[in-house]
Amino acid sequence: MSFWKIFLAVLMAYVIYGAFNIAHGAIGFAEKGVAARIIFFHVPCAVYSSVAYLVATWYAVKHLWLLGGPNKSVEALEDSDFKSATAMELGFLFCILATITGSIFAGVQWGSFWNWDPRETSIVIMLLLYASYMLLRTAFTSDTAKRARLSAVYAVIAVIPSIYLIWVVPRVLHTMHPTTTLSNPADTSLSYKLVLYPSFLAFTLLFIWLMQLRVSSSKLLEARKKRRLREMEAQR
Amino acid sequence: MNNQSWVQQSLALFRKDLLAETRTRVAFGAMGVFSFSALLLISLAMVGLKGVMLQNSTGQSVPAWNNSGKMSLLWVLLCFAAFAGLSHSFVYEEETGTASTLKLHMMPQAVYAGKLLFNTTVLLAVSLVITPLYMVMTGMEAGTIPMFFTVMLSGTVSLSAVATVVAALAARARSTGALFGAVGLPMLTVLLVLIMNAARQCYIRSESAVQYVRPVIGIVGFGVLIVTLSALLFHFIWED
Repeated sequence: MSFWKIFLAVLMAYVIYGAFNIAHGAIGFAEKGVAARIIFFHVPCAVYSSVAYLVATWYAVKHLWLLGGPNKSVEALEDSDFKSATAMELGFLFCILATITGSIFAGVQWGSFWNWDPRETSIVIMLLLYASYMLLRTAFTSDTAKRARLSAVYAVIAVIPSIYLIWVVPRVLHTMHPTTTLSNPADTSLSYKLVLYPSFLAFTLLFIWLMQLRVSSSKLLEARKKRRLREMEAQR
Repeated sequence: MNNQSWVQQSLALFRKDLLAETRTRVAFGAMGVFSFSALLLISLAMVGLKGVMLQNSTGQSVPAWNNSGKMSLLWVLLCFAAFAGLSHSFVYEEETGTASTLKLHMMPQAVYAGKLLFNTTVLLAVSLVITPLYMVMTGMEAGTIPMFFTVMLSGTVSLSAVATVVAALAARARSTGALFGAVGLPMLTVLLVLIMNAARQCYIRSESAVQYVRPVIGIVGFGVLIVTLSALLFHFIWED
């Protein structure tokens, strides 16, 4: 157990405590501002649902880069593939969390759980993009090198729709979401910053930890699969 | 590898595909029948809305089944039609075993360019037939004519760019048919949002040209980016 994981536990506990006890009720929000407390979880989830895609693309590009390069070590190729796939899975998870928390927030604040706000539209499409990446991976069972290569290509090409979803669509169409909560610090009060910024740090660490766990578990599963195949061949 | 340039190679592939298509008419026929049936289904489903008027939030009465609504459904139809027919271009090369011949004799980028050209031609032909029929059957108006043509053309080309690269990806996997739609449609949803946004402009009288140009740039940019990335990455898809 490394030190930063204990720190993460303390930090997350602080964020959960702070969301209800440190932050004041925000002016202009439903239920005397109590509704706004969900942003300490909703906003980091929403941000990480896009960051995860960028992480996945980074490793997909790395994978293709290694494939084109002179020294093709199997470990490095497998590593970048698993990291890309894991980031996609985490992106899917954070996307679901952001959609659920957002829908609850919308239900309380805007009076309806689904309003077809551009950001709501983009997050469901984002969810679909993640799902179709995972679906594409299931279509290759035996040939893992091919699965790695083709899913990396899909990840890189699907960057275009996701960039449109994350940056273009919410800006072109009219949105009810505030756009300056993060980009303009003057719009957010001190008691919110005291919780929101630690919350971002906590979610970052959580993301890294989940990523590490999932990558090592997929590597173990893959190694077991290969060992079993070898055993079966030996028996024959 | 022979010493033709990639342009000559891709044109040769385009001619080959076009010749095969004129003999069998598989892609055009499949997409034609598919989209015509879908057209009938949409018109029948919406027949009850004909002439129904609604009051909007400002108290004006507007038709329930309006031009932008009709245009959006036309695009949904074209998206599904593209996914019904365009997978064929790569799948049959794998099925008949001619993919290896192409791999031996042609540059990957030339294969991509040839297939993209062919798919775009077929899709343009289909939308050229289907759009007027749809307009007759549902009473959709074209609105601002130059904008209408720009949206239809740029939308169709971008649509075929997305469908082509996803078809190439899916042709390399098992259970191609179902996978093709499921993998490609989420990407197309984004394009569809852009197209519907642009299509709305056809029916709004606007003073400044910027109002027309901006949504079109969105569609064209999407298509150009997809084609660029696909061309860059195509050899990873195509070669083993």
